[in-house]
Amino acid sequence: MKMDRKKPDLQQEALKKSPFGVPEGYFESFSDRLLERIKEEESSTVPVRKIGTPTRWMSLAAAVLAAALLTTSIIRLSSSKDSEGIYSDLAILEQMQVLEDDRYLYELLEEEGSVELNEDEAFASQAIEYLAINDVEMDLIFE
Amino acid sequence: MPEWDDREIVVGFNTRGKEEEAFNQLVAKYQERLYWHIRKIVISHDDADDVLQNTMIKVWRSLGSFRAESGLYTWLYRIATNEALSFLKQKKKKAFAPWVDMEEQMFEKLEADPWFSGDEIQLKLQEAILKLPEKQRIVFNMKYFDHVKYEDMSKILGTSVGALKASYHHAVKKIEAMLEKD
Repeated sequence: MKMDRKKPDLQQEALKKSPFGVPEGYFESFSDRLLERIKEEESSTVPVRKIGTPTRWMSLAAAVLAAALLTTSIIRLSSSKDSEGIYSDLAILEQMQVLEDDRYLYELLEEEGSVELNEDEAFASQAIEYLAINDVEMDLIFE
Repeated sequence: MPEWDDREIVVGFNTRGKEEEAFNQLVAKYQERLYWHIRKIVISHDDADDVLQNTMIKVWRSLGSFRAESGLYTWLYRIATNEALSFLKQKKKKAFAPWVDMEEQMFEKLEADPWFSGDEIQLKLQEAILKLPEKQRIVFNMKYFDHVKYEDMSKILGTSVGALKASYHHAVKKIEAMLEKD
């Protein structure tokens, strides 16, 4: 390109033209490349299970679970230092047992197909079971 | 295929089965304008291509929740500007030591860029523009090359018209001084 040796002036019309260029056919192929990338990204995304709007029953169960966790934490904090380690070990074992039992129960239900719990009921049932194991006063919560 | 207006694009994107067609219309209508806007910020073609793709992907993901009152054109420009600026920020973080002048590196790259077709004065102008603070650079480019109205620029950059006018004025003065010096 011819060199312009004149003193640069921002009012020069030639300066206002964009000096950048693109490879040939860039804009013509952009849309296809873009859609390809979008499809690739969408197919590699792990689908997230939709939980949906919490029902009143789910909200109650969540509140019960939160109260239970708070109660057990207070109990643990107020217990003696010596028993603390054993207590928390026991709690972990109990929780593992609950999970194991749940898995067994659901496998059983799937096999037999006799009892059908919906998502809300299953969640509430788990919460109540957890409270029972942790000796939480249910009457106080449901009052 | 007749070009859809912005409203048709937004409505089409929210109509089951028409999403892809509406999005294609949006890309065809705005890809060049957004590309040139981004290119002037990031300078290299490859970087501009990356940023344009990221911008369009963001648009694809959020067009469904777009609020029509802000205007599709200003919304797209705002996304493109943010994408370009965060791209530069990331690039600075990853590839450059704090004592290295990134704008200097960008200019060196521009001199060797096969997709830069400017003459010596245009190269000098780009060098001067690169020395401006980031926001002044964007304002100068939008006004000087793209003739974007201050009112639109205000919506895109979230800055008052008065501040934009002052910013452009300062940018012009600085560039003129730099060009005089050489």
